[in-house]
Amino acid sequence: MVLPSPSVRRRPSVSARLTMDDPTTPNQDELARLQAGLLHAMARGDKGALAQLYDSLAKPLYSLAYRVLNDASEAQDIVQDVFVQMWTKSATYDTSRGSVFGWAATLTRNRAIDRVRMRKRRAELLAESAPDLQPAPPAGEGDSAASLWIQEKAGAVRTALSQLAPDQKKAIELAFFSGLTQQEIAEKLSEPLGTIKARIRRGLLKLRESLPSRL
Amino acid sequence: MIPERQEELAALHAFDLLEGAEKAAFESELSNSPELRSLTASFSADAVNLTLAAPQIEPPSGLKVRVMAACGAARSNAPTAPASNVVAFPLLRVAPWAAAAVLAVTAAWFARQAVALRDENTSLRTERQLAEVAYKMAQSQLKERSLLAESMINDLGNKLRRSEDLAHLKVTALASLAGNTKEAQVIAVWDPQQQTGLLTMEKLPAIADTQDYQIWIVDPAYPNPVNGGVFHIDSDGRVALPFKPDQPVAKAAAFAISLEKKGGVPKAEGPIILLGK
Repeated sequence: MVLPSPSVRRRPSVSARLTMDDPTTPNQDELARLQAGLLHAMARGDKGALAQLYDSLAKPLYSLAYRVLNDASEAQDIVQDVFVQMWTKSATYDTSRGSVFGWAATLTRNRAIDRVRMRKRRAELLAESAPDLQPAPPAGEGDSAASLWIQEKAGAVRTALSQLAPDQKKAIELAFFSGLTQQEIAEKLSEPLGTIKARIRRGLLKLRESLPSRL
Repeated sequence: MIPERQEELAALHAFDLLEGAEKAAFESELSNSPELRSLTASFSADAVNLTLAAPQIEPPSGLKVRVMAACGAARSNAPTAPASNVVAFPLLRVAPWAAAAVLAVTAAWFARQAVALRDENTSLRTERQLAEVAYKMAQSQLKERSLLAESMINDLGNKLRRSEDLAHLKVTALASLAGNTKEAQVIAVWDPQQQTGLLTMEKLPAIADTQDYQIWIVDPAYPNPVNGGVFHIDSDGRVALPFKPDQPVAKAAAFAISLEKKGGVPKAEGPIILLGK
């Protein structure tokens, strides 16, 4: 696929590798630059760039939304809303504030958690939310460079998580995926609030130590 | 060196778990500490990486088309997108129809209510008219009955008055005292209130032109009978004659008729031919 944007055209091989022409996994910085380039192209109304960014990010974003909401239909709504927002706000994106993936993931999580909180079904959610990670389903597009990148990065995150103490891991997962408040997490885990805060802090510090060297 | 408490708050902030005053206070601290800002940003980036800890699921195949269409509809940043690619969000497409349907149902409901109310109004108006007619009829009947009753009361009053008047009257049959007046039938009716009387006579013998019959009313208040007037009989002997005494009569104890010279006399001189008490 050839992108009409001149900035992306200058590096056609990288653009192609991001999708499926080259199964070689690009490094983290290269991917971040490519995604930023796609976003700039989107700011000029390039729908091809939008399609490429969708191919690159839809799976992790959809998986995140589904993990938080546990509802396929709502997860699709969230992903659609996030891409529409990225499309309409792409001109305001500032690379110094973080990666495109980070921006998209934050948007997705915030929207999903807003929905969870809007449901007003906290009791039900407490019962439904599974603190343990479910086994990862087989990847659908193993030959895509973006998929390989996601697989590699997801593997690193899971490995880092598995190195946490079980109580830290539970606290971190509930903090990120459940949409519960601090107090609600403490109630769910039947622990004092101070203990939960400390577990989240220690868990995040440990993740920080593990992840940068691997991603 | 960042204190443990601030590290804790930075971690909670990375998960968007701070609320209210705690959040405001921490953000205030953030603005004053570059070191804390850096740590918080680092925590936030690590937290975002947890996105990939979710089991990876392929999005549905139709989602890409849906996303592309929705972005095409977002015109604010897609000036080159052709209008034909604009596909409204389904809910927004349905909303006007839903609103129209709701409006139609509401209008139908109001129309039905209006018809029902109109029918009820007509029915009530008819009932009111009937009630007015019935009232007028009853009023008319009452008036008629009232008039009838008034008339009956007046009749009864008149009858009563007449009977009372009659009760005051004194009716006396005069008997013959002379041989030539045996068949004569004379009745005197006296009204003491009016001080008048009526004399009816039959078969009273005719008398000479030089003579008159004279009526006398016996009142114990006077030493002599009171003069009631004279009359003359020519041929058939049938007479109905009103009379009036020339003096007030307090009590008419008896009536008498004498035969006197023409024009009558102040005090009876001739023979008494008829007398009644």
